[in-house]
Amino acid sequence: MSPRRTETGGRIDRLRTIRFTFDGAPYTGHAGDTLASALLANGVTLFGRSFKYHRPRGLLAAGVEEPNALVTVLRGEVREPNIPATMVEIYDGLVAVSQNRSPSLAWDIGALNQLGGKLLSAGFYYKTFMGPVIGPLKGTRFWMFCEHFIRRAAGLGRAGTAPDTSRYERMNAFCDVLVVGSGPAGLMAAKAAADQGGRVILAELEAKFGGSANWSGETIDGAPAADWAGRVVGQLEGNDNVRLLPRTTVWGYYDGNTLAALERVTDHKEVPAKGEPRQRYWAIRAKTVVLATGSFERPLVFPGNDRPGVMLAHAAERYANEYGVLPGERIALFTNNDSAYRSAVALKKAGAAVVAVIDVRSDVSNEMSRLASQAEAELLAGHAVVATEGGRTLAGLKVQRFELTSGALSGDERSIHADCLLMSGGRSPTIHLASQAGAKAMWNPARQAFLPPQPTQRWIGAGAFTGSFSTAEAIAEGRSAGLQAAGGSPSSAPLPVVEAAPGEPDPAPVFEIKAKGKSFVDFQHDVTAEDVRLAHREGFVSVEHLKRYTTLGMATDQGKNSNVPGLAIMAEALGKPIPEVGTTRFRPPYTAVSIGSLAAERFGDLKPERLTPMHDWHVANGATMYAAGLWYRPMIYGLAGETVEQAYVREAAATRESAGIVDVSTLGKIAVQGPDAAEFLDRVYTNMFSTLAVGKARYGLMLREDGLAFDDGTTWRLGEQDFLMTTTTANAGKVMQHLEYFLDVIWPELKVTVTSVTDEWAGAAIGGPKARAILAACVNATAVDNATLPFMGIVHGEIAGVPVMICRLSFSGEMAFEVYSGAGYGTRVWEALIEAGKPFGLVTYGLEALGTMRIEKGHVTGAEIDGRTTARDLHLDWMLSKKKPFIGSAMMDREGLIAPDRLELVGVIALDNRALNGGGHIVEELDEENPHDSIGHITACCYSPALGKYIALALVKGGKARHGTRAFVSDPLRNRFGPVEIVSNHFYDPDGSRLHG
Amino acid sequence: MVERQLPERQLPERLSPLEPVYHPGSHGNFEHGVDVILSETRPGSILQLAAWPGEEKRLMSGIYKVTGLALPDAAGGGVVNGAKAAFGFAPGKFTVVDEAEGLASAFTGVITPAIGTITDLSHGRTAIRIAGPKAEWVMAKFFAVDFALPAFPLGAGRSTNHHDVFAQIQRTGGDQFDIYVFRSFARSFWKALCHASEEVGYEVH
Amino acid sequence: MLINCPYCGPRDVIEFTYQGDGNRKRPQPASQDLDAWNAYVYDRLNPAGDHNEIWQHSGGCRAHLRVVRNTVTHEILSTAFARGGHKSAGHKAGGNQ
Repeated sequence: MSPRRTETGGRIDRLRTIRFTFDGAPYTGHAGDTLASALLANGVTLFGRSFKYHRPRGLLAAGVEEPNALVTVLRGEVREPNIPATMVEIYDGLVAVSQNRSPSLAWDIGALNQLGGKLLSAGFYYKTFMGPVIGPLKGTRFWMFCEHFIRRAAGLGRAGTAPDTSRYERMNAFCDVLVVGSGPAGLMAAKAAADQGGRVILAELEAKFGGSANWSGETIDGAPAADWAGRVVGQLEGNDNVRLLPRTTVWGYYDGNTLAALERVTDHKEVPAKGEPRQRYWAIRAKTVVLATGSFERPLVFPGNDRPGVMLAHAAERYANEYGVLPGERIALFTNNDSAYRSAVALKKAGAAVVAVIDVRSDVSNEMSRLASQAEAELLAGHAVVATEGGRTLAGLKVQRFELTSGALSGDERSIHADCLLMSGGRSPTIHLASQAGAKAMWNPARQAFLPPQPTQRWIGAGAFTGSFSTAEAIAEGRSAGLQAAGGSPSSAPLPVVEAAPGEPDPAPVFEIKAKGKSFVDFQHDVTAEDVRLAHREGFVSVEHLKRYTTLGMATDQGKNSNVPGLAIMAEALGKPIPEVGTTRFRPPYTAVSIGSLAAERFGDLKPERLTPMHDWHVANGATMYAAGLWYRPMIYGLAGETVEQAYVREAAATRESAGIVDVSTLGKIAVQGPDAAEFLDRVYTNMFSTLAVGKARYGLMLREDGLAFDDGTTWRLGEQDFLMTTTTANAGKVMQHLEYFLDVIWPELKVTVTSVTDEWAGAAIGGPKARAILAACVNATAVDNATLPFMGIVHGEIAGVPVMICRLSFSGEMAFEVYSGAGYGTRVWEALIEAGKPFGLVTYGLEALGTMRIEKGHVTGAEIDGRTTARDLHLDWMLSKKKPFIGSAMMDREGLIAPDRLELVGVIALDNRALNGGGHIVEELDEENPHDSIGHITACCYSPALGKYIALALVKGGKARHGTRAFVSDPLRNRFGPVEIVSNHFYDPDGSRLHG
Repeated sequence: MVERQLPERQLPERLSPLEPVYHPGSHGNFEHGVDVILSETRPGSILQLAAWPGEEKRLMSGIYKVTGLALPDAAGGGVVNGAKAAFGFAPGKFTVVDEAEGLASAFTGVITPAIGTITDLSHGRTAIRIAGPKAEWVMAKFFAVDFALPAFPLGAGRSTNHHDVFAQIQRTGGDQFDIYVFRSFARSFWKALCHASEEVGYEVH
Repeated sequence: MLINCPYCGPRDVIEFTYQGDGNRKRPQPASQDLDAWNAYVYDRLNPAGDHNEIWQHSGGCRAHLRVVRNTVTHEILSTAFARGGHKSAGHKAGGNQ
């Protein structure tokens, strides 16, 4: 028998024993236990070390708000830090370790920080480390020196370095009613909405539905509340319109009633089932949301309130009633409200000795006095706890007389022997989601709490969330919210009858007992009441500044316990009422969300990628593939032992010598169809397309509205009203949107359809002196001679039994053809071309050789059409029609765009016969020590087999005027300096004799 | 644009982009039952028909004339009939699918330039079918579209995307959807679809 | 944020691409009025409140929409096709209000 486990009671399965380890030691627990309840049952009271001072800490809470007992869960090499032990369901083989301690939890060297407590007070980092970098150990430089040690000493769990191999998924869900929280209010809402026929999702962040019904000890309709909850859940499970999501935290409330939730699908399982994700990120679009998120009990702020053994009263009640675990044998309670009396009775019933109820109020109702007697507890009304004693567990506490209105302490300190002290400081509704949804919380002076704001989105509140803390109210509000959310009318049918302990919901307005010693407000970030006052003395008056300066509420728990006490202390320091100090708006996420769940399937092998029709052929034939955006393209087809440069030089040289073939399927292809297609193209391109004959292609240039160059490509006229536009691979999507925008928004009167047909066509470009002979050898149903297929001509034929379209155009500068076929025939046609090319020495070439040949020819691509260059800068002004306006024509002649000192396209030859680099600068004077006065930069470079030199394209001031002059490359990052000659960008065959054959 | 056909002969079989990753048989958690069936339907013809504003009705009657499919007059409305299917996917735009090849030429002369345009996408789009009791569940992992029957009726079409993958989806059965994706993305999408189906157990036909 | 596409119905904002201020007026194509062109290309209203915007349903039907959106609350007040016509046959009438 575990030392703290009760003989009977609780909703755990005592017949199932589960084995796990914590900090290497073996423990057992039962099915239904959390790591917190199982360890507590084993007598463990020390769970962690605090953030700054390394103080020993135990359990404060029993639920998601737990600030102290953060653990790291290990699965193999993968570690997940900073999980509240209260949220870890135990399973056989669970391995959990404590955090922020060295060498062990019990003997922690960092606890020495407590001795230098003042050093780490509010603003410590700003005061010590901010400042100019001067002297050896001052200001920012001092920070750089100390950072390593501080980061090790302060903090939470350590992230792992092993890759997380878990599966994560994203789900999209739609419903009429999303109910958040499954306490009595949430269950009633879900039931009522489902009975109306609405599509309902019920999300509960814990494993078990029922919320407080699982531990309140109340009865509903004559049965234990937990049984009632179980019955309602059973009814919901049987309804096809209801989706029950246990272990699902709704963590974000976004515009349009879109909510984000995280479902922990298999975190509680030893081994997930095949294909089962670890976690699911749910994006839920709900017509109406019912917020039934309950409330948190608040701690009281007094010296030593963080000692292990000091716990929230509701948490202790829950450990006893739900898990059958007593948090102590001699328990004292410290309260400012009635609800602690019910807790006292519950713990007495569970078998603990309740030694005292200490109430800050001198005026305690008779009903409460009776409950204290029932618990056989001494009632100390008008008293407060001023100190706690003990080391790693609580040994006792000291109380003094307390005056409610002044907060004054008087009389002698009295010692009480207890191993557990329960705090009850009032309740804060869990309004996080409502706050995220957009409106400011309202302070309610009676409840001493922020209540949910008026809805700015479609949600309805119910239960403790609204400040209605009794179960009877929760049930009534839940049903009404569920009916309203599902569009039903209010019901007058009788409600389930609740039997509950008496008590008023309003606490006395006491947050802090001012006595000597560290009184913690924010347990997770180690912020004390004195830190808050210090921040105020140093001039921080805005709640937002206070928060950042003290880091109050900025830990992983986002101040679920500490927000209201912190504000109350701040308000007192400022001499203002709490509502005037205001509260900060809650931001998503409500609790920590794994990055894995956000990345979900867009990761690793599942990242979308685009493959050309001939992809498998390339891979099977030795291509090294290269990611170009989402596309994969052959970079080189390397032979054994070849470097990349050797491979592309071979491929390019062989193409110019005989013939080469390259996959151009990735080029953007847009079908432009309709009676106004030619007119549309005239407006879109700088040059004329209406004059283009059917069966011909033309090179076109597009500008942006601001007159800068946008994209280029050839467009083929396949019919009177039928064009095939090609774009650069990278710009295909942008050009498509550009065209759609003009057709939809600017010129809706044009009858033109634009359709992406990139994927319809496989494209192979075959070029070189032997290219025509190769085509002649394999093309049927058409001739390919100069008369039938002149430069920029198009023919339809057949290769390997499938229809092809061939256009004679050239990017390489050689006599070249682009062969298009239906994508499903791409490999067939490609293989036929390769076969036909064998006797002619045809080579396959990749992007590197393609780039090399285009640089040799001086053609531009996205490296030069970079969003800053004009048509003139690129020597494409011959394409600017003067006969018509076109997109960009009105803006392209602005002063700045025609200035003589603009960067213009030139060629560059390395005179030292060494490779150049893209991005290297061109300078007139070489100064390696102090590089200066760039006159331009290199956009693309290669070794040119045709010239036998390292060459590059560059954008250089003055451009053509510098042809034939000497300059230098200055590339300090890569330490590449040396002489270059500036030449025309047309390095190779400038008069185009080769491409005309 | 209409691809020139060589009508006198049967064309060779097209290569599927899914070829190396298409593994017929049961996969994933199938020991507990197969809840979805995945297949590539490989229709011979996938066309896009677009009407000029005001010409939609004439275009729809043209579709009826050629295919016998009577489209409902509603955004995203569609109809399935054995080997043929059609649905609206954008204002004035429809996808028409036929198991047989050569549907484009059947529309030439019916959908005249005065009515709208015909674009042949038979190679450019890959058709993937998902069927079974968990089809909606698996689809919901990819698309932010409500797949419940009342919201997405039989025959209806939807245009949406999964990250960069555009998809047109038609409901072709109570628990069956046909997804048309760009051919270049098809293999990537298929792999993701298989991955997402492992949990429920799937079979590839 | 959800945008109610007049064709596709309400869809997540990730399916849409913002295409700029909907108040811009493009000068006549042949216009040489550089001030007018400058205003069209560069001037943008930036109101805190209701704003006319162009959005493309790029991850859906690809239609461009005229959207009135409150830039403070993100509330979408109305949506409509940017391109007129397409009133009948295969289209929902108008956007949401």
